[in-house]
Amino acid sequence: MAERLQDPHAIRPPSRRPLKVFATDPMAGRTAGNRITVDVENEDPKPGPRGDRVAVIDYDGAHDCFYQQVDLNTPAILMQGGLEPAEADPRFHQQMVYAVATRTLENFDRALGRWQSFQTREYDRLRLFPHAFHGANAFYSRELNGVLFGYFRADKENFGRNLPGQLVYTCLAHDIIVHEVTHAVVDRLRRHFLEPTNEDVLAFHEGFADIVALFQHFTFPELLRDAIQSSGTTLDTPGPMADLARQFGEATGMGQALRSAIGRKELVLGPSVMEPHERGSILVAAVFDGFFLAYQRRIRDLIRIATRGSGVLPKGDLHPDLIGRIAGEASATAQSILGMCIRAFDYLAPVDVTFSDYLRAMMTADYEMSHSDPLGLRESMIEGFRRRRIFAEDVASAAEESLLWPAPVNAPQIPVDSEQAILVYLMRTATNFGRPRMRKLDYEKGFIVDQDGEEVPGLTEDVAKALHRYASDHRDPLQLHPKLPIQVQGFHSVFRVAPSGRLVIELVAQFVQTDKTAIDALGGIPLRGGTTVVAAADGTIRYIIAKPIHLGGEQSVRDQAEARIRRQLGYLDIADALDPETSFMDDEGLKTRMKTRADFAKLHFR
Amino acid sequence: MAEGSVVRIRMYNVGFGDCFLVTVPTRGRPRRILFDCGSIKKAEKHSIDDVVARLVQDCPGEDGKPAIDVVVATHRHRDHVSGFELAEWSGVTVGEVWMPWTEDPADPDAQAVRTGHAKLAAALDASLQLKLKAAPDERLKGMALAVQNALTNEGAMRTLHDGFNGNPVRRYMPLKDQARLTFETPVLPGVKISVLGPSRDLDVIRDMNPPKGKSYLCLGDSLDVRGEPPSPFDDSWKIEGDAPADLSADDRKKLRAQGDPDAAVVASLDSAVNGTSLMLVLQVGATHFLFPGDAQWGTWQAAMRNPEARDLLSATRFYKVGHHGSHNATPREFVDEIIHGKGMRGMISTNPVASWPGIPRAPLLAQLTGHNVALARSDQSAEADPAVFHVGEDGLYVDVEIEIADPPADPPVDPPKDGATVTR
Repeated sequence: MAERLQDPHAIRPPSRRPLKVFATDPMAGRTAGNRITVDVENEDPKPGPRGDRVAVIDYDGAHDCFYQQVDLNTPAILMQGGLEPAEADPRFHQQMVYAVATRTLENFDRALGRWQSFQTREYDRLRLFPHAFHGANAFYSRELNGVLFGYFRADKENFGRNLPGQLVYTCLAHDIIVHEVTHAVVDRLRRHFLEPTNEDVLAFHEGFADIVALFQHFTFPELLRDAIQSSGTTLDTPGPMADLARQFGEATGMGQALRSAIGRKELVLGPSVMEPHERGSILVAAVFDGFFLAYQRRIRDLIRIATRGSGVLPKGDLHPDLIGRIAGEASATAQSILGMCIRAFDYLAPVDVTFSDYLRAMMTADYEMSHSDPLGLRESMIEGFRRRRIFAEDVASAAEESLLWPAPVNAPQIPVDSEQAILVYLMRTATNFGRPRMRKLDYEKGFIVDQDGEEVPGLTEDVAKALHRYASDHRDPLQLHPKLPIQVQGFHSVFRVAPSGRLVIELVAQFVQTDKTAIDALGGIPLRGGTTVVAAADGTIRYIIAKPIHLGGEQSVRDQAEARIRRQLGYLDIADALDPETSFMDDEGLKTRMKTRADFAKLHFR
Repeated sequence: MAEGSVVRIRMYNVGFGDCFLVTVPTRGRPRRILFDCGSIKKAEKHSIDDVVARLVQDCPGEDGKPAIDVVVATHRHRDHVSGFELAEWSGVTVGEVWMPWTEDPADPDAQAVRTGHAKLAAALDASLQLKLKAAPDERLKGMALAVQNALTNEGAMRTLHDGFNGNPVRRYMPLKDQARLTFETPVLPGVKISVLGPSRDLDVIRDMNPPKGKSYLCLGDSLDVRGEPPSPFDDSWKIEGDAPADLSADDRKKLRAQGDPDAAVVASLDSAVNGTSLMLVLQVGATHFLFPGDAQWGTWQAAMRNPEARDLLSATRFYKVGHHGSHNATPREFVDEIIHGKGMRGMISTNPVASWPGIPRAPLLAQLTGHNVALARSDQSAEADPAVFHVGEDGLYVDVEIEIADPPADPPVDPPKDGATVTR
């Protein structure tokens, strides 16, 4: 903009930058749809690449060295739309990690209606280490504010699709990058979702990361074409598309477990499915089933046209135009499902998530975007969850109306007008959305540290104080404990455009309360309660989504609190029994065992 | 107490390990069942040699030679089988040898499980021995000991598979096509035996080869000939001199420390071998005796969810505490909801190892005692209730006698010796 003011003939830089990546991983390299070009926001990255919110740092911990870094603004690279895929060139690895991570973040930006920042006191960006260590593993580390990818030599006997002894890079697998970056985003959105207070929490973290990876994968129509062609006349069974979904991690030996439930109808949620990956895979399968139903509904007209109403496809190859149209519908459906799955986050309580909560949050989020359900997405999703026996708890029926979070009556407004800090925040975020380079948190206004001494991301002191006053004045309606201190755990304004063209503006605040009295007995995870408040731009409350900790309040609140504590204790027993290391732990180890179990470095090594 | 109406269980003090001799009265002669004989840490006053010598003495046969009707090896951990290495066993007449199905030499699934465990144990042992040499500490010692426990025990396994006098029948349990939990054998007239584990379920077999182990082996294979990680790129890509990016020395240190999964892998190997444990309920008359070996969560869960097996568990009068009193071998649900503690007896063979501070787990023992289970500990036998337990020969063994409710009427005096068929 500034350049154009000075020189009316200046050439405007393009808003998007094309970059080449593998759509799956190098092992699928020879199939047509695997080498694709994705475009990402053109943010003028420095060598690394080092963008506004992610920085690729190619430090190899196993050899204590750095590798040559890519400069995406090199003319030779610009002219060919990014480096060509090459396994032997670390600069392509850096480009791919950067491109896929950025694209993932953009999906979150769009669905959540706000820019995902990774700024902390210590680091101003999410750091991506494409060759961090030697090992068949990759994981997100909160401590390093980064994602670490490993590399290793393929097994000489069980090499799968690789060549025996070939080097395998986890940073070249599209889905692994998305999966790990999603863990990082979720950890920013909900800090306490790494505290396994019930059997669904870690399973949700894993399953959700995989859902994002899967559906981002499905937004590449090139990739879907092959799967659809090989379905031939049986477009009504998920076979080839399920196979495509299951490819995740085949080359790296990672992650197969997570999608193993797709295409296996008999795998449903039950009390014996407790290991986080297995349990997570049921959630992934439920969403996939919902997707497939919605997709079938959406291509029905195309099939009718192509078969002149008989619905029976002729033998042999399908017409490429028909495949193109079907692939387009599949990828558009995938994008809608992805958006729906991500938007649900704003309607989750800050602590103790369950699959049931997630289903209800997903329904509510989508309902707020569009009251009618023209594409049948919600209906399909409800059916997908039902088939996998994931049910909403404490609801009258499985109908959509029952699944929406209840709207509160006479709830206290968030004081947008009287609290200067909130108003300023709202205006600043409104003007900043869509202006890439003005997004740094204003650290002069102070940052917030929670009861555990951890920074609350994206929150300044003045806003936190204003919200704290609000919550302290309204403990009862917000289902907060009357005595325990209140921690403001997050505040966002959300700007979304609904399909109808309507602008949806929402304020989302999170409050958390912590009772540490039994923390040692609970393995390092305290009892926590929390409430998410969703309000309109004027402060009118739309939803109060609470996980109460108060054992003395109203009957329904007390019941919920009691049930949650029982469940946390019950899960502690199960987690102990499932972990072979429990038997060998000393007293100190036992005091922190639940925390240890949520460490991604361990969780992802399997 | 009338002779002929009590079952006697003798727990030998092997140190850290298991060795239990069960004597069942029948009209002709007492029948004997031996559960395990092994140790990885000797007791204060006795060695495993002393235990075997006494054990052989305790089992006089009719022809003057020592005789045991059934030898059970619950699983192949050293602390359960090491005693079978000794030469004495060739002179002991044995009727049948029972082992989990994972020991069946002819079963390819079993072979795969055993090879998997052996390979993983060998790889871990090699890695840990190197680390111990470099910097020995208690944690590493504990891991090394757990791995040694899982190393193949050729001598002992040879005795179990090919040794003993009398050419005993070998049974691998449960049978592949076994439809019912319970069977009888002519060598134990009047005793019903129920097999509660290990399962042959495909998911269970998969868990017997822990994914962590596979990843670990794969990582070992990934190293080059000097035992170093492979270079992801050739040296020309390395940057000499200053770091190109902003990365603190502290962060670099953290990144260098990644990738030491040993502890988790050792524990998962230990648990996987324990998971092959043969879990049996013996029923004499209406009295039930539970010997779970070192069975873990999977086997216990399956048993507690199966109504028939759950009934057997809830009828337990005697419980051999699983896995030396560790946290993961006795589910809380079993103690809190299934057993009726009153008059119940328990025995726990254990002896604290410095590097495994969690075994035995004190709260578990307190929980059992709290449910009125009279407990005897092999390493603290003097503290056992003398009204219930009898301590012999300077603590070498502890006995408990349990009266049989509804003793079986007239078991056959002398069963046919060729009794290899299983009656169901």
